Amino acid sequence: MDIEQKQADLIDHFVKQASALQGSALCPLIAEATSNTSLFAFSEILAIPSVLQLEGTSNSVYLDVLRLFAHGTWSDYKRNAGCLPQLVPEQVLKLKQLTVLTLAETNKVLPYDQLMQELDVTNVRELEDFLINECMYAGIVRGKLDQLRRCFEVQFAAGRDLRPGQLGSMIHTLSNWLATSDNLLMSIQEKIKWADSMSELDKKHRKEVEDRVEEVKKSLSLKKLQTVSRPTLTSEGMRRSTLNLVE
Amino acid sequence: MASSSSSGLTFKLHPLVIVNISDHYTRVKSQMHPPIGPYANDNSNGTDGATSLPPPVPRVYGCVIGIQRGRTVEIFNSFELLYDPSTHSLDRSFLEKKQDLYKKVFPNFYILGWYSTGSDAQESDMHIHKALMDINESPVYVLLNPSINHAQKDLPVTIYESELHVIDGIPQLIFVRSNYTIETVEAERISVDHVAHLKPSDGGSAATQLAAHLTGIHSAIKMLNSRIRVLHYYLLAMQKGDILCENSLLRQVSSLLRRLPAIESEKFQDDFLMEYNDTLLITYLAMFTNCSSTMNELVDKFNTAYDRHSRRGGRTAFM
Repeated sequence: MDIEQKQADLIDHFVKQASALQGSALCPLIAEATSNTSLFAFSEILAIPSVLQLEGTSNSVYLDVLRLFAHGTWSDYKRNAGCLPQLVPEQVLKLKQLTVLTLAETNKVLPYDQLMQELDVTNVRELEDFLINECMYAGIVRGKLDQLRRCFEVQFAAGRDLRPGQLGSMIHTLSNWLATSDNLLMSIQEKIKWADSMSELDKKHRKEVEDRVEEVKKSLSLKKLQTVSRPTLTSEGMRRSTLNLVE
Repeated sequence: MASSSSSGLTFKLHPLVIVNISDHYTRVKSQMHPPIGPYANDNSNGTDGATSLPPPVPRVYGCVIGIQRGRTVEIFNSFELLYDPSTHSLDRSFLEKKQDLYKKVFPNFYILGWYSTGSDAQESDMHIHKALMDINESPVYVLLNPSINHAQKDLPVTIYESELHVIDGIPQLIFVRSNYTIETVEAERISVDHVAHLKPSDGGSAATQLAAHLTGIHSAIKMLNSRIRVLHYYLLAMQKGDILCENSLLRQVSSLLRRLPAIESEKFQDDFLMEYNDTLLITYLAMFTNCSSTMNELVDKFNTAYDRHSRRGGRTAFM
């Protein structure tokens, strides 16, 4: 969430500048915004009316670039490279970072092979360097690199700008989460009741057993009066006394 | 005497101070001769013959220290002081010695005021208050009410400031009550939490411990649930269009939701089931051991009871 704080000032700055400019003056501004190292959020700039007016004009390619940076990935750029202006290296880097964020949206565990393909990186070392230096130190992702299984486990990824349909799916996820936690709360309460009732049963059982023991003790002490408690020396006498005890 | 303060200072009180004051009071109360307790009254009544009132509850005094930044007064710690009942004032040299010692350990803390126990601020307290005014020009007076009132939900701690009010034409210093908030450091939070969740010291049955543990989890999840509900409602409102779309918040929510599902991964299932099975195995083993030892005892008792029978008669043992 600190990424949002870091970006907030930049977003304000660019929004203010963009509202003041019009038309082709916006193009260098867009280029500057997309190259900026700490800015990952573009939907605020996209929402400014003067930017939207670029649609359909000769500078609409810049609007497309902005949209690409807001929602698209590096592969999208490669596919449409013909109709989009050339990107400077900083923009390329930023787009690759945003690609990682998009990939992290769908899976929590990203295999190296997929990452290498999406980011156009040939060897693992370069990929790891990119992930560590550009993504983790920038703070947009947090996770663990597993070299043995060749995958990247994402624990936290910053949010990208929302596509129009995403809000619905977010609400759906939230309602699922709510339902699960409600169920969990109910099952915990049931468990507590179960624990209490089991302890009640156990106490009752224990009490019953002790009562039985008391009864038997009492009846035994009555019987004891009949037997000869001192063992006699003759075997016959012993047998007689023990027989009496058993009875 | 107590009306609402108008000085505009905000007070922040740390739980350590409250615990210190109550500890001081409890120690003094339990060390008094004869000890004041629930049972002492009967003794004194019996031996004296005449009805004697329980000895007056002692008042304890001490100093509070902390930091004052601008309009915020934060009270961090406190220490005890000697009270001289003859002069109705606090022992000055002792206070200064203690102040030096505390200054060495906490160089940032200043003496902000003093504390005492009782149910309400009294006139005599003003003497002590005035005496402290040369160390701090506007000291605070923290009062702890030691009588336990189960119906009362708030803390029995009040903070008074002194203000110059004109009463009957004479400007006088009177105590005015001020509001305060409790501020906790992480260490304080852990200890207060620990004390609040004291398990019954006789161990209780296994069921009560389990129930206590589960209740803790239940309340934690309940809080999480209410927070998620708020987010859900917020997103729904945003979708309907009631609230303006705030992109930064939406981004944060989407990054949060991306961390779910947290429990579905294969590795988690493996580890979880392994630990579950281990626990079950150990319980089973313990039960086994218990059973076999009980069985052993039973056999011993049986053999002792019927031993003469089998040895003498040459018959085989019952078992």
